[in-house]
Amino acid sequence: MYTPVFIDELPDASTVSSRKSELYRLTRARGLTELLLDGTTPWHDRACPGCGQDRSQSGNFSQALIPFHRCSHCNTIYAAKVPAQAPLDALRARLQAERSEASAQAEADAGSRQEFEFVSVLNWIRLTEARAATGRPLAQVLDYRFCSENPAWPGAVARLAQNRGWQFLPLDPDSEPLADLARTLRQSPPDAVLLNAELDRSADPRALLQTIRDHAPEGTLVFVATSCADGLEYEILGADSPSFVPLDRLNVFSVKGFEALARGLGYDCLEISTPGRLDAVILQRYFTEIESAAVPFWSGFFREADRDRLRDLQILLQRSLRSGVMRFVLKT
Amino acid sequence: MTLRAAIIGYGKMGQIRHRAMERHGGFEVVAACDTHTGFDAGIPLMTDPMQVYDYDPDVIFCCVPNMMIPDVVCEALKRGKHVFSEKPPGRNSDDVRRMRAAEATRPELVLKFGFNHRFHDAIENARQLIAGGTMGDLYFMRGVYGKAGGANYAQNWRNDPDQSGGGILIDQGIHMLDLFLMFAEGFSEVQSFVQRKFWTDVPVEDNAFALMKSPEGVVASLHSSATQWQHKFILELYTRGGFISVNGILSASGTYGTEVLNVALNRLDQDGNPIPNPESQEIRFTEDRSWDKEIAEFHDAVVHGAPVLCGTSQQALDVMTLVERIYAADTDWTSQRAGHAARAV
Repeated sequence: MYTPVFIDELPDASTVSSRKSELYRLTRARGLTELLLDGTTPWHDRACPGCGQDRSQSGNFSQALIPFHRCSHCNTIYAAKVPAQAPLDALRARLQAERSEASAQAEADAGSRQEFEFVSVLNWIRLTEARAATGRPLAQVLDYRFCSENPAWPGAVARLAQNRGWQFLPLDPDSEPLADLARTLRQSPPDAVLLNAELDRSADPRALLQTIRDHAPEGTLVFVATSCADGLEYEILGADSPSFVPLDRLNVFSVKGFEALARGLGYDCLEISTPGRLDAVILQRYFTEIESAAVPFWSGFFREADRDRLRDLQILLQRSLRSGVMRFVLKT
Repeated sequence: MTLRAAIIGYGKMGQIRHRAMERHGGFEVVAACDTHTGFDAGIPLMTDPMQVYDYDPDVIFCCVPNMMIPDVVCEALKRGKHVFSEKPPGRNSDDVRRMRAAEATRPELVLKFGFNHRFHDAIENARQLIAGGTMGDLYFMRGVYGKAGGANYAQNWRNDPDQSGGGILIDQGIHMLDLFLMFAEGFSEVQSFVQRKFWTDVPVEDNAFALMKSPEGVVASLHSSATQWQHKFILELYTRGGFISVNGILSASGTYGTEVLNVALNRLDQDGNPIPNPESQEIRFTEDRSWDKEIAEFHDAVVHGAPVLCGTSQQALDVMTLVERIYAADTDWTSQRAGHAARAV
C-alpha cells in the first residue's frame, strides 16, 4: 500500500481567515440550528462510524449544537446523533442556493482560486491510474456530489481531464440518494468513483460506501478525500479548529477508523495519505492571534516559525499521516 | 518446482543471492564455491568451481569477479545449466559476445544478468508512469551515482583493470546506464570526460561524466563518481508533462538512503504554459524487494518459460558497449589507458 506525500507551496493565511470563511461557518451554524429547532426532524444516536465502538466508551469532543464524540479506540471524531440524510440534503441544497444567489461572481472567483485544488485531484487520479495495475485505464469516472459543492468543478474537469469521461451525480434533495447512486452504478458502470469531501457530510457513511461496494463493478477504484481526525490542527485545537464546521463534519475519520470501515466492507486499500496543506498555517494564525493560548512546545514553535519551518512541519505531518485532510484509494 | 542451485563465488553477493533464494522457496542451494571456505554456510563449500557440478545443480549462480564471469557462465551453459550471473557482465563487450555465443548454442537455457536496479520499487513506478504515457514524451534524464571509494580502494580487485575492466563507471555507473537504456533504448551520440582525481596511483577512473543523445533526441547525462564522499543516487526524468525523480536507492549496504520517488504533473496556466513548481507526489520506499523480484523472474523463466525482461544478454551487451563508448569518447583518457597498458607490458 502506498502512502504518498503531496508537496506544494504553503497556502497563505488568508485562506483560513477571510470574512468569506467566517460567513460560511456562520451560515452553516445557522442552518444546523434551524434543523435542530425544527421539531419534525427525527435524530438518532449512533456509534463510531469508523470502527463501530459504542459511543458510551468515547469521550466528548464538543457540545456545540450537537454532541460530538472522539472515539477512544480509533480516534474518529463524530456527531453522536444525526438526522436522516434527506433533511440534511434539503438543508444543504437550500444553503447552496442562498450562497449562489448572494454572490454569483464570488463563486466564479472561488472557482478560479480552487483550480489548484482541482488539478491536484485530477493529477491524483492520473498518477494512481498509472500505478494501480488494474490493467485498464480509468476511462469513466463518476463524481458523487462534489460538483454540487463546487460549481466550478465540472468546468475544470472539461478543460483539464483529457481522455477521460466524467459523469456527475449532483445533490438532488427530491431524490432517494443511495438508490439513485446504485441505479447510476448499474446503468453506467464507471471505472472510478470520486467521493471528494462527501463522507464528512454523510449521515451514514457506511451505507454510502456499501452502496458503491455492492453496485460498482469489481475492480472499480474509489477515490476518497475527507477530513482527518489525526491532523495536528484537531489534536491541538480540537473543536476550536476553523476546519470544524459541525454541519460539514458529521464524520471526521481517523486513518485507523476509515481503514477499518473500508476493509470491513470488503474494499482493498491501495493508498492512504494525509495531503492537508493547512495545519501549520491554521495553527500559526491561532497562536499569534490569541496571545493567551499556551500549549507546551507548540505555542512557542508557531509564534516563532517562519514560512520555511512551517512548510517543513507540514511535510513532516504528511509523512507521518498527521495532517487534517486524508485521501484513500480503495478498490472494490 | 524446486531448482537445485549452486553458487560460484560465495562472497557478499553470493550470500545475498543465497538468502534471496531461501526467501523465494523455489530453490535448494546444494553447494557453493569460493576461495575462502573456512566457515559454516550450512551447505557444502569447495574451492574448485568444477566440483559444484558433482551436486547436479539445475542452475548456477555466478557471483565471481568480472574477469572470471565469462568462463564460469560459458562452462555452466556448456554443461546444460541455467545461469544467473552478477553484473558487470565481464570486463568488456567481447566478454558478453562470448557468453552470448555460448547462450546461442543452448537456446533452451536461461541466461540472466543481475541488473537489479530495474526491480527497485521506485524505478518500477517510474517505468510505469513513462510507459503508460502519463508523463508524456521523455525529454531528458540526469543520473548521479556516487560513493566514497572506500577502504583498500587501491588494493581492491574492482580497481585493477585487468580484473574488472575499469573503475567506478563499470562497477557502479553501469547500473545507471542500464536504467538510461531502459528508458531511452539506445544512444547514437556519446561525449564524455573520464578522470582519475584522488586515487592517482590506481589505473582506473574515479569519475566519469557522460552526455548522450538517443536517435529520438532524448538527452541523458551521467556522473559516476568514487569521490562523491557521501553516497548518492539520483535519477531524474523530465518529460513533456512533468518530471520524475528517484532520490536514494535501497542497497545491501543501506548507505544510499531511503528510496524516494517524486513525481509531478505540470499545472498549466490559461494559455497552456506550465506554472513553475507544480505539486509533487512523494513516495518513500523502505524495503528493498529488488533481490526477491529478480530471483522470482529467474525462477519463472526457468520453470515456466516466462521471458526474461530485465537482465537479458542483449541488454548486457548494450550497456557494456555503451560503457566502452563512454571510455572511448574521452581521447585524453584513451591515451592514458594506452600508456598504462604499454607500461604494464
